[in-house]
Amino acid sequence: MAALTPYTYIQCPCSDSSTLGRSSGPNSPTGSEGDEDDRTFDPRAPRSNYSLYPLEYLLYCEDCHQIRCPRCVSEEIVTYYCPNCLFEVPSSTIKSEGNRCTRSCFQCPICIGPLAVTSVETKPDPGLLAATDNTAAPHSGPYALTCSYCNWSSTEVGIKFDKPNSIHAQLAKLRNGGTTRLTAKERKERRKDPSYRSQAAATTGSEGGAGPGKEEKLDLETQFANLKSFYQRQLADPNSADTGLASLSDLGFSSPTSLSRIMSIYTGGSLQDKKAKSRVGAMREALESDEGLQIADLDESAAIDKLQTDGHDGTASTAQLLDQIPNLGEAHLHGRSRFLSELRPIPYLLRAKRSKRCPVCRHIISKPEAKIQTTRFRIRLVAGSYIPSLAIRPLSLSSASSTSSSGASVPGALLEPLKPTHFLLTFRNPIFDTIKVTLGAPAKTPGRFPSKVTVLCPEFEIDANTDVWDEALKDSGERERERERERRARRGGFEESTTTSSSNNHNNNNNNNAQNQLEVGKIWERGRNWVSIVVEVVPPSLKLGDSTGDGGGVLREDEDVLEIPMFVRVEWESEGGGDEVAVAARDTSGGSKEAREKRELAYWCVLGLGRIRRS
Amino acid sequence: MSRRPPRGEYIETDTGNKVARKATLVGTQNIMLGGKTVIQPEVMIRGDLIRTIQASSQSASGAPPNNTAVSIGRYCFLSRGCCLRPPGRLYKGTFTYMPLRMGDHVFVGPGSVIQAASVGSHVHIGTNVVVGEFAIIKDYVRILDGTVVPPNMVIPSLSIVAGQPARLIGEVPEGGHEAFELRDLYKTVGNNPQPAPS
Ligand SMILES: [Zn+2]
Ligand SMILES: [Zn+2]
Ligand SMILES: [Zn+2]
Ligand SMILES: [Zn+2]
Repeated sequence: MAALTPYTYIQCPCSDSSTLGRSSGPNSPTGSEGDEDDRTFDPRAPRSNYSLYPLEYLLYCEDCHQIRCPRCVSEEIVTYYCPNCLFEVPSSTIKSEGNRCTRSCFQCPICIGPLAVTSVETKPDPGLLAATDNTAAPHSGPYALTCSYCNWSSTEVGIKFDKPNSIHAQLAKLRNGGTTRLTAKERKERRKDPSYRSQAAATTGSEGGAGPGKEEKLDLETQFANLKSFYQRQLADPNSADTGLASLSDLGFSSPTSLSRIMSIYTGGSLQDKKAKSRVGAMREALESDEGLQIADLDESAAIDKLQTDGHDGTASTAQLLDQIPNLGEAHLHGRSRFLSELRPIPYLLRAKRSKRCPVCRHIISKPEAKIQTTRFRIRLVAGSYIPSLAIRPLSLSSASSTSSSGASVPGALLEPLKPTHFLLTFRNPIFDTIKVTLGAPAKTPGRFPSKVTVLCPEFEIDANTDVWDEALKDSGERERERERERRARRGGFEESTTTSSSNNHNNNNNNNAQNQLEVGKIWERGRNWVSIVVEVVPPSLKLGDSTGDGGGVLREDEDVLEIPMFVRVEWESEGGGDEVAVAARDTSGGSKEAREKRELAYWCVLGLGRIRRS
Repeated sequence: MSRRPPRGEYIETDTGNKVARKATLVGTQNIMLGGKTVIQPEVMIRGDLIRTIQASSQSASGAPPNNTAVSIGRYCFLSRGCCLRPPGRLYKGTFTYMPLRMGDHVFVGPGSVIQAASVGSHVHIGTNVVVGEFAIIKDYVRILDGTVVPPNMVIPSLSIVAGQPARLIGEVPEGGHEAFELRDLYKTVGNNPQPAPS
């Protein structure tokens, strides 16, 4: 079983439909206080899977003063790019060419590794995968796509290229096995060409095929194009004689009037056109390959033969088939590709840089720079700069029982059933105002095996994160700020190591000190912008026999994980404007600080403490 | 706490690099360290695998040959037992190594082997990862434990990859950028290690 490192997940308010869209007026949060307290949040409820996120995944809307998560933000695409060649793809190209890279970027159809263009003449030495400088390399064609991970080569499916560049365009014209494949434009031209038509007719005739089975073999795109134009012709001519499948027309499916008939049923008959009713001309179905008829090839003996020679190893897996893109493949409506030899190189799916909007007020809360080479953001309102972060650490207090010290103090160790265990929760305040934190946790966690939970200090204040801010105001240069932060961090580290030996809880010699501090209503430790408190848990015994449980005597997945639901309320007073920059300007100009506004943010979170030892 | 070896486990340079005495650095004159980089024991860096053919532009300009085989930026952390090895290939018919470049704040997990052409900044490479030859890893990339990055693979910025071969499994969230910072980790090792901030 994998060791479990303690975690904190925060619930986004969007999981509660009543809070979404609620105005953030000064009265509304207090108004709903009561019922929020009454509800107990069950982290194990199936719905919780979709609303709990680590802090890093959460954004924050400054206008709504609320947490936003990946589930509720609305995304907008800023730039499309290929993840392999890192070229931007304009949205006009997306419309015409689709959502895949049309340069020479391909993935291996066997293992999805990247494919490199190599010369076929020289032996496939991995050192020769000189995709980056084909121009400098002296080798000449033909070329193949080769996988540097599993050594697959496009020559295995009979595909070679004349040029080392614009592989996508070349591949579009090649079938597996090397025969040419017509592009859409060429197919259209060929259809128009009378000499081809007569030739095709002659071959069909000479083979003496009376049945349609001897018709031209159509590929998927041609068949679709033929069918489409055929039906468009049929729809344009409602009086077309029913020469085809007469029996089907009795059902009324193939008549263009059936649509108006159905419409009239739903619109109360008023729309019924007497004239149209009299015109009973029906559409016929496609009769020849020109019209898109493709007789199903039910003879699978070739496939069976191939299966006998190649065996199971020669067949493609479901995952491999899913990675294939349908239009470039050879697949027909009947008889999908089933063998590895039918797989084709996969052009890379494009990726996108996305900006994110608040679902309620529509303000942008995250916006990356459009350029692909940069990782900077124009706007990045992450929840971590607005709500306190929470770190969990096991705390071993005891020399009283020598066994316990080895218990919870080791991160990831199993929690002993029925034995009080302590955890240190460190809240760090990211904002520039002092915050008051109120915690609420059920005395017993929900579920079949409730743990007893005691938050020793459920109410405390954390000092503001002002220090950095003041310094930053003085020297606005970013380098200065960075140096300052570094210096402070070093100083902070020094202080911690010398003065607060109690934090070093692996040492047993400060036990008295520790036990003195373990008092209800007292915080454990305090720093510049952080506070540590202690939570005591008594894990349950995971005995199944005596539990009159629902669902029998099997421990469900992760039922041994000790998770505490905790309601966190953060209260602070901020400047009326709310905008920090504006506040700063006012402060430096000696403005009054009177217009302070009470703010509050409350949310559920889940503390995952560890796994309980199974008895 | 065991007693420190008398001379100190690490050599600390003027630029703040902390290099373990038990690390193996071959061809040190070809290894460039940007400063404040930690190299743990049993790390191997193959600075001896230098480029044998100079790029045409360089030889034409008459500049002195650049023999840097491995260049490492600031605040990198090379964990115990990892290996940095310049990638090599045939170039105009002759085999040559090419330099391995690494940006700032790159964490390389224990037992990992890196043969990339370039690793960006703010990159976290997990335990027992293999990065194949000439792979290109951009900024803010997280490679999970046990991943095998195939040769020539390009991993764009803000990707989370895993698997054998590596595939994209997620994106680094907006709030996850700061977690790549290695300043604090830098302070926790060396001859006078400081505890990690709580
Ligand atoms: Zn949400
Ligand atoms: Zn591409
Ligand atoms: Zn492959
Ligand atoms: Zn909003």
